Parts: sequence; structure tokens; C-alpha cells
Amino acid sequence: MSAQQRPLELILARNLLSNLSTPGLLVGDGGRLLFYNEAAGAIVGRSFEEVTGFSAEEWTSEFGPLDIDGHPIAYEQIQATKIVRAHMPFHGEFSIKAHGGRREIALTAIPIVAPDDSTAAVVLFWLTDGEPVPAHAAHLSDRLREVDGEAAP
Amino acid sequence: MRLKVWGARGSIPAPGPETMRYGGNTSCVEVTLSDNSTLILDAGTGIRHLGMAMKQDRSEAAVAHPVNILLTHLHMDHIQGFMFFPPMFEAGSEIVVWGPASPEASLRDRIARYISAPLAPVEVRELPSRLTFHETDAQEWQIGPARIRAQAVNHRGPTLGYRIEDNGTVLCYIPDHEPGLGAPLASIEDEWISGFDLAHGADLLIHDCQYTDSEYDHHLGWGHSPVSDALEFARRTGPARVLLFHHDPLHSDDFLDRLDTELAERWAQLGGPAGCVSLATERLELELTRDRVQRPAEAAPPPAPPLRSPA
Ligand SMILES: [Zn+2]
Ligand SMILES: [Zn+2]
Repeated sequence: MSAQQRPLELILARNLLSNLSTPGLLVGDGGRLLFYNEAAGAIVGRSFEEVTGFSAEEWTSEFGPLDIDGHPIAYEQIQATKIVRAHMPFHGEFSIKAHGGRREIALTAIPIVAPDDSTAAVVLFWLTDGEPVPAHAAHLSDRLREVDGEAAP
Repeated sequence: MRLKVWGARGSIPAPGPETMRYGGNTSCVEVTLSDNSTLILDAGTGIRHLGMAMKQDRSEAAVAHPVNILLTHLHMDHIQGFMFFPPMFEAGSEIVVWGPASPEASLRDRIARYISAPLAPVEVRELPSRLTFHETDAQEWQIGPARIRAQAVNHRGPTLGYRIEDNGTVLCYIPDHEPGLGAPLASIEDEWISGFDLAHGADLLIHDCQYTDSEYDHHLGWGHSPVSDALEFARRTGPARVLLFHHDPLHSDDFLDRLDTELAERWAQLGGPAGCVSLATERLELELTRDRVQRPAEAAPPPAPPLRSPA
């Protein structure tokens, strides 16, 4: 037997992603990259088999998201991480590293909350290079402020 | 550990002359633990005959223990016999029911939907036995000499599989399971296979095999396994013996005989040892000992005899 079996909700999430043509990934409770599908692999230029077991630090430095200067944003600082940890879905725009270059994406992250309250995320994304930023950005900022406010002492 | 199959049919009872040998009662397996206490896996219609047999046969040692019932889930074919289980109506009997939790209502309240008007002439609170309910998510606990492990498995709605370890032998029970839904079982890693840890290395695996491969094409996502996935799950998890279970109500004895032959051939093609895989039949009795699974009357050492009793 290899590593301990994954909980059912993660198994089902992975099975769903592996059958989608929408690029998507599965991130575990601590930020480990548990899976991404072939459509995502085609965008970033590496198949999941090549990167199996990437920690949060490893995949963010490999793929991003990137800040305005092109540096990877630390996993804990990514807006989507904060929102999903508060058990809320997230939608936003990011730059990522793909095929050695910079690409723009929109992503939706959906929290997968287990009975023990641990939280993974299913993340679906789309290439948006050159597309205008959607109008929900303002709404998103409001929610981010709420989450940051809850986290503050 | 000894076990007896009281119902191996899935979905709905299927009595009639064409199902006499494999049986028409729905899921129920009696497990006698090493301290002689009784553990019951699911309360399909098979539990009615089990309850009647318990009334006649229960030794004093067995009566001293509560009866534990492990429910995999609350689909009708796994609880329908509940209300016709004679110990429920005995003031002296103590029954402990274990089953999956749901965010919607307690286990007791969900079962009470069936044991209440207008579906039933009695209410749970009217039953004279001492009846308790325990919700169990993925966890391990002790029942008498047995270590029980429950884990959520892929079916429709909250559903558990069980791994029962007693005196060095392991029984795994996953009667309703579709581990191959959206996943290629032959190639995906162990840790991503639903039910893998429950079944891994068990002495006996009782597992869903409701459909033939061609039937499965029309039942994708219904929560049950086709032959190919049932065999592949067994190959991946490596139990010593496999009883395939939850027979489709449309499958007659003759059909299941043919399926049994096909299973043996396909199991051999997968490299499995002969005699390890067979279809469960109602009233089949097995004894699990540390290094083999056999019918109680047989004393011959391995290679062990086929699991299925002669018709
Ligand atoms: Zn069933
Ligand atoms: Zn079911």
C-alpha cells in the first residue's frame, strides 16, 4: 500500500476534474497540489505526472500566480487561499507562468470542506489574455475585506 | 469469525422460482465474532430470517451480548427488514445500530421515516427493545473483540464501507460501491481508489457486482459496480477471497451461474488464483481463520475449496 487513502470527497473531486475539458486543479488542505487535469497541463506546459507531490511553495514558484513584477505570490498571500479557507468560493484574475511565458487567467476556486473541517479546493481556470477585467472585481474586494476583518484580532 | 449470508440481492427483494438458489432477500450478513456475539451487516430483508434463527438458536453466551447492526447506508434494500427483525420486539434485547451521519437529520430520525406512519404500523419509540443509534463517519472503534473501521465510499448519498478485524482475521464489507466512476481503476494510484484501505489485504472481501459490463453502460453513476470493476478492485486490493454481492433483481439463477463461470475465467485472465472469487448465495456460511476462508464443515488445509455451497 502506498500513501494513505484520500478521503472520498477528494477522490470524487479528482475524478470529476480528470473528466473535464475545462482546465482544473485540486489543492489540498495545506496547499499541496493534489492533481491537475490534462487541460491544465496543456496550458502550463507540464503534465501532472511530472509534478506529482508538489508542495504549496513548489507549485507557486513553478506556475505562479505572479505579482505585478512577475514574482510568484506566496501561497498564504494568494487571495483565493484566504477566501477558500473561510469556506467561501472565490473568483478572480491572475497572471501565471505557462510554457515559460506569462499568461492571464480567470479562476474560480470552490472550497471542498470535509467532515473534519479540513478544506481543499477545486480550482477551474480559463485563459483570458487581453480580455477586460470583469465587473465583479469590486464585489470581490468587499468580500476580501470581510475575510481579512474576521481574521484580525 | 464466522459469517452467514442472509441476503445477497440488491435494490429490491426478488423472490420466485427463478432466484431460489442465489436467493431473493436483500443485503444482510451475520457475523459471529470470536466471543460468540453477533454483528449484523445491513438490515435488508434477509435480516428477518436471521432474527427468527436467532430466536431459536441463540446461546446463553450470545444473548448476554447486545446485537450490533452496522448499516452501510439507508437505501431501502439495506433497511427494509428492520421492522421484521424479531429481536426488535423483545423487551430483553439490546440492539445497537451504527450508520452514516448526514447533515440533514440524525440516524434515528432518518430510520424513523421508514418505521413510522404511513409506511409502518409502529413507531421507533414504541419498540420494546433497548435500541440505540450511533452515527459514524470515517473512524475506528471497538465492538467486543472486533476492531471496526468505517470509511465513506463512492455510492449515492452518505454510504460507508466496513473493515472488521477480529482475532487476526479481516472481513471487508462494501456491498454498494462504484469505485470506477470517472476513474480508470487499473491505472490510478492506490490512494485515489475509493474503499482501497478498507479492502486492502482482507481475508474476505464482500463487494458489489450488480451489473455485467454491458448493463453498466446504461447505469453509469447509479452507485454500483460492473463485473470488470469489481474484479479490478479485487485485483488491486488483494483480499484472499472475494464474494461478489448485491445481485441485480433481474438476474436469475441460470444467469448468475453463467456469470459465475465468466467471473472465474476473467479472474484467471487477471492472474488471480483459482477459486478465490465467487458470487454470494443466500445461506452461504463461511469461517474466516487466520490463514484461510472455508465452510465450517471442511477441515482440509489450503488450497481452500470454492466458496459457494453446492446448489
Ligand atoms: Zn443496495
Ligand atoms: Zn444503495
